[in-house]
Amino acid sequence: MPKAILVKDLVKEFSRRRAVDGLSLEVEEGEVFGLIGPNGAGKTTTLRVIATIIKPTSGQVTVCGKDVVREAAEVRRLISYLPEEAGAYQNLTGLEYLRFMASFYYRSEEEVEAAVEEGMRISALGERLKEKSSTYSKGMKRRLQLARALMVKPRLVILDEPTSGLDVTHAFQLRRIIKEYAERNRITVLLSSHNMLEVEKMCDRVAFINAGRVIEVGQPGGLVSKYGADTLEEAFMKVVGFA
Amino acid sequence: MPSGLRLLVVKEIKDLLRDPKILVGIIIFPALLLPLMGAAISVSTGSTIEKAYGNLSIYVVDDDGGPLSQALLDYFGANYVEVKEVSGPPESILGGLSGGDVLLHIPAGFSSNITGGNWSEVVMYINFKDFSMVEFIKSGRVDQIISSFKSELVRHLVSEEAPGRDPNALLNPIRQDYQSVIKGEAFRVSPAALQGTVQMQTLMGPIVIMLVLILAMQIAATSIAIEKEAKTLETLLTVPVSRMSILFGKLAGSVTVALLATVANVLAFTYYIGAVLGSAGAAAGDIGQAGLKLAPAPEGYLILGLSIFGALISALAIALTLGTLAQDVRGAQSIIGIVIVPVFLPAIFLMMGDLSALPQAMQVALYLIPFTYPALASQALITGNYGMSLIGLVYMAFFTLAMLYIAAKIFSSERIMTARISFKAKKAE
Repeated sequence: MPKAILVKDLVKEFSRRRAVDGLSLEVEEGEVFGLIGPNGAGKTTTLRVIATIIKPTSGQVTVCGKDVVREAAEVRRLISYLPEEAGAYQNLTGLEYLRFMASFYYRSEEEVEAAVEEGMRISALGERLKEKSSTYSKGMKRRLQLARALMVKPRLVILDEPTSGLDVTHAFQLRRIIKEYAERNRITVLLSSHNMLEVEKMCDRVAFINAGRVIEVGQPGGLVSKYGADTLEEAFMKVVGFA
Repeated sequence: MPSGLRLLVVKEIKDLLRDPKILVGIIIFPALLLPLMGAAISVSTGSTIEKAYGNLSIYVVDDDGGPLSQALLDYFGANYVEVKEVSGPPESILGGLSGGDVLLHIPAGFSSNITGGNWSEVVMYINFKDFSMVEFIKSGRVDQIISSFKSELVRHLVSEEAPGRDPNALLNPIRQDYQSVIKGEAFRVSPAALQGTVQMQTLMGPIVIMLVLILAMQIAATSIAIEKEAKTLETLLTVPVSRMSILFGKLAGSVTVALLATVANVLAFTYYIGAVLGSAGAAAGDIGQAGLKLAPAPEGYLILGLSIFGALISALAIALTLGTLAQDVRGAQSIIGIVIVPVFLPAIFLMMGDLSALPQAMQVALYLIPFTYPALASQALITGNYGMSLIGLVYMAFFTLAMLYIAAKIFSSERIMTARISFKAKKAE
């Protein structure tokens, strides 16, 4: 069975800047996998390559055995990507937005409606879904986006900083939705985060990334023990040499 | 139409038409502005003339009291101008005058100087308060009557000096007559009189078209930039739909809005021209007939409509191409701010004069700009010379295809996400 994600010696350069420098990682089907690293470490660039938005300069990236460059169209049918701070169309209602996005994945009206129902349930926005998304708060927008990403039951969900900018309550709700959904549907989740506590609680395995490379991979608890740290944050700091 | 493209087109149209800036800015605003202006011109021209000519009166200080000053006052009366005689130094009366009032001072010795073979003068005091058209027309009317009296007087004096000779022939041995030829038919109208009517059409057409083009470009460029800022484009690039569908969805949405704007504009322009020519037609016999002759043919409106539509599509293709390169809304607006210069140029040149009078290099440069053609088409409404407008339609089609090819290249590459044209301080990733 192919890996959910296989990244081998990935290099990505923008002009003269190397954002990802020989990054390799493997993610199993059904795993919740976290990328941890400081700003500019190459997390978002890696997620964008896996999500088929940008192409690698060199190296190999596959999703469920499909190459992200040669078979980009097939990969897009398997994935759902949630960019950091993504918004919706200001002049569409939340419901129209969910229906619009679901229609790309399903042919029949029944399938689209079933996905929209699922999206409505995940977002838990109720009657507010009938209002334009420009009237939503930041937390509501994020819930709508997460619902959009999950409702189409992808094989792989890619989440870039899923709780970035949210307050404690909204962040907690979102984490719970992701965790429950991943467990119930056995989908693979790849997420990036600055929030170590979030990653520690949600992820089966994590990769520490620094300067465009993976410097350590393992289970959160295992990494904490391995580096004699109290928290994942402390373990990360020890690995990158700041502690 | 593939289902993905259909979804995107429907979404674009919904998103654009629900945006108040677009609905008001490029459809309702021009659709209301032109008819309002046409109506304003028609009504104000009529009421201004009525107000200036109706019950016209002048104040006169007659320090002469001679036969010629009396003849002048009678001449005013014969021309339906009421004469109100006042006395005292003119300067002491000026304070009591209203806006547009005219005070005529006929000095002592006016009659005797003229009959004695010398010149004399009259002084017109025109009281300007708000410099309105009415004030200018009133003073012009008084001036015209004095000039007319002067001509009569000169003819009389000449006939006394040269009995048996025709004073008109002596004074005006060469008579100038004007025959303005419009579409093969001659009208006894001076070019100066015709100019006023024609300018109202040739000035307004390019201005309104220019405004619509600029608005449409801003909308298209910012619509991509908004998607980039809100990350909806980033999301869309990862769903199972081709990037060409995303590009053509954007274009089709913008085209639909542009089409609505074009229809609104042409209808409004039709009404405007009707109102302007109507007021000219009501003005006087020959100029009115000439105005009617200038009324555009239906094919003129069709070519104008096609030219505006073609220019809009060209503008949208440019805007979409540049919009893909902008990082954010501000960047897109700044880029469009620079690109609107070629939108302005043809309109300015066409308002100021004739393209054929320009140096050849400049003519070529202007003909290379697709936005020249709708301005030419709006002029062709009057002139009936549709040749360049028709060539322009073909040129605009090729220009649009070339721009779309560039946009498609950018859309199908990762430059759509990595382009960094921004006028804002750069942010570290």
